[in-house]
Amino acid sequence: MLSRAASSLFWMARYLERAESQARLLDVSLTMALIDVPEDRIEQLSVPLLVSGTREVFFEYYDDITPQNLIDFLLLDDRHPASVFNIIRSARDNALHVRGNLSADVWESINQAWLELKELQKKGVTESNASSVFDWVRERSHMFRGAAYGTLLRNDAFHFLRLGTFIERADTTARVLDIRHVMAMKAMEEQATRAFFEWTAVLHSLAAFEAYQNTYGHNLEPMNVAELLILKPDVPRSLHGCLKEISSLLERIESGSAKRSRRLASSLYANIHFGDRDFIEERGLNAYLVDFLDRIQGIAGQIQKDYMGWQQ
Amino acid sequence: MLIQTPGKGLYDELFDQNNQIRPHCKILEDWLANSDESLIADKRREADVLFQRLGITFNVYGEDQGADRLIPFDLIPRVISSSDWQKLQAGLRQRVQALNRFLFDIYHGYDIVRAGVISAEQVFSNPQYQPGMQDLKLPRNLYAHIAGIDLIRHNDGDFYVLEDNLRCPSGVSYMLENRRMMMRLFPHLFAHSPVAPIDHYPNLLSETLRAASLKPNPTVVVLTPGRFNSAYFEHAFLARQMGVELVEGADLFVHQNKVFMKTTIGPQQVDVIYRRIDDDFLDPLAGNPDSMIGVPGLYAAYRTGNVVLTNAMGTGVADDKSIYPYVPDMIRFYLDEEPILKNVPTWQCRKEKDLQYVLDHLPELVVKEAQGAGGFGMLIGPMASKEELSTFRSLLKARPQDYIAQPTLSLSTCPTFVNEGVAPRHLDLRPFVLSGKKIQMVPGGLTRVALKEGSLVVNSSQGGGTKDTWVMEDDLC
Repeated sequence: MLSRAASSLFWMARYLERAESQARLLDVSLTMALIDVPEDRIEQLSVPLLVSGTREVFFEYYDDITPQNLIDFLLLDDRHPASVFNIIRSARDNALHVRGNLSADVWESINQAWLELKELQKKGVTESNASSVFDWVRERSHMFRGAAYGTLLRNDAFHFLRLGTFIERADTTARVLDIRHVMAMKAMEEQATRAFFEWTAVLHSLAAFEAYQNTYGHNLEPMNVAELLILKPDVPRSLHGCLKEISSLLERIESGSAKRSRRLASSLYANIHFGDRDFIEERGLNAYLVDFLDRIQGIAGQIQKDYMGWQQ
Repeated sequence: MLIQTPGKGLYDELFDQNNQIRPHCKILEDWLANSDESLIADKRREADVLFQRLGITFNVYGEDQGADRLIPFDLIPRVISSSDWQKLQAGLRQRVQALNRFLFDIYHGYDIVRAGVISAEQVFSNPQYQPGMQDLKLPRNLYAHIAGIDLIRHNDGDFYVLEDNLRCPSGVSYMLENRRMMMRLFPHLFAHSPVAPIDHYPNLLSETLRAASLKPNPTVVVLTPGRFNSAYFEHAFLARQMGVELVEGADLFVHQNKVFMKTTIGPQQVDVIYRRIDDDFLDPLAGNPDSMIGVPGLYAAYRTGNVVLTNAMGTGVADDKSIYPYVPDMIRFYLDEEPILKNVPTWQCRKEKDLQYVLDHLPELVVKEAQGAGGFGMLIGPMASKEELSTFRSLLKARPQDYIAQPTLSLSTCPTFVNEGVAPRHLDLRPFVLSGKKIQMVPGGLTRVALKEGSLVVNSSQGGGTKDTWVMEDDLC
């Protein structure tokens, strides 16, 4: 398939995944800010800014981090690329680029999201209706995924689209875990109840709360959370699950010559596949995740270079 | 529902002169009688929402992409009888065949010029003439693989050809989507009616494009200027329907006079390019050097015969308004047949006698630029102010060769939903004619309708709308 089309499909899926993650993350952070003591509220509200790397940009436009400012900035503010508004706009732009490769159902699910979002922007979002908007974003993402699963031919177009989803997801999981884990550990030292909420926040941010209970029961243990979100292959947002998909997708994609991205992905996958919680604990979760983020970004860059960055 | 009666002396597509529904339109009688305006208003809103969601929009240069415009879609179909279509189809085949013969001739033996039917000056000094196409051998000697022929029905009930579009005629996606929309909104109308299907157009197009190359299994692509082009929706739509790649100039490159596309597994050779970019922008090395949407070296590859362009370079000569008056002569000259479809009588201002007539009768005539398109740069005499008439008088005197004039034809009307209710509005018809191993078309075309009362301008760039076009397979139903 066309390199440019592969790139647009990849980014389209990345953006949609990003919109979903951002909505989840915002939802959890705003809820946590309600639970938390006033002095820690700012810290809670900062999480989505840290994950999306937009803390500095935020302060260019706003003086303090309040729930409403955060909602405005990360949902509908069209002045910077990290708002859900611009993320979905970018997804739709990319979809428009590859309309020839999309089924009507997939295109319509994205186009409809964009049309509705423009209406939402006109109406505005406040603290009181923010949750319904987060629900809406998640539902649109589910709908896109459903349309893609249900109607796309399983060819390279589909594979590149799925690659985008899993690269973005792996990146998000590692970031969220890294940032929220530090906060939870700090809470553990202070107060058991708060620590409980912190750990549930990690799980809710990554849609893994039910998965945790299923696997470990109610007892929230830091290393269990890390193990679940890093090593358990059956958890949809775990690093193991993502890498398994990434390396198998890369195997399925038609390849002209030996591709470096395959090697990088398989190697990272093997590390996680054969990794265990003792290794992570010895290494330190933070160091482990920083290394992981570095490598996943390397894979993403290599995929672009191998398949999409065309030098004649 | 109250329907305004058609104007006196005009041909209406739905009602005869006694305001009775024409026999081949009977299927609409109950529907129109029993639909109240609120139902229709609901259906119109539903159609708008669906068109928005499908993204069947019309980009306008310079507007924010968030402001994609819809082309107004009218719910009352235009119906063509089976016998009318039979005649139209035969006439269109004949016309397109002659036009392709003409294009071959003016780049090879110049028989028609030698025979004195058309002057050498009119052919060779035409800005659309591509000297580089001379003696070039094209597969099956085909130039205009896809032609869009604009027709109107005059108040004498006959169809007249208004214009031949042989470069990148657009609008076929609206023809197809309008039908889908009608079937979705009013399924019962189709359940028992013999409306001829049109959805196989992409198959015919694909067949035509593949037949444009002599290779057994050619790689076909659709070349678009990009998503800011007003017809981008159509380019993407056709590529998807045919299952071929939609490419932009930057996706292609030329190596050793062969055209390749940049794919995830490396270069892949392209054999047929259904280009939706004008001649001048196709190759910055050969045409406009500032073109960012073209492919450097494409022209050389084309001349070497390593790639086929549909339509060919230089087809614009034959759809020029100054060549149009000669099409009936072409049919006689190349095919030795009498033209089946009528031309609109045309005065060529380049001719002294014609110019004098035009200047004397300006308030009755329509004056058009020979190179104009989109309904711009024209004068509609009966509607023009004194100032406009005098401006055109000086224009005509200064550059007579740039203009042609025609009598003001009364385009037929069809009841149409407008702000005032349901009222007759003028319309035209653009069927799409495909030339490959044989000449094929689907029964129908794009019907464009002027939404303003009395207006004769149907172009979408000037606020015109579209309608579904029904060709009846059996007039007796």
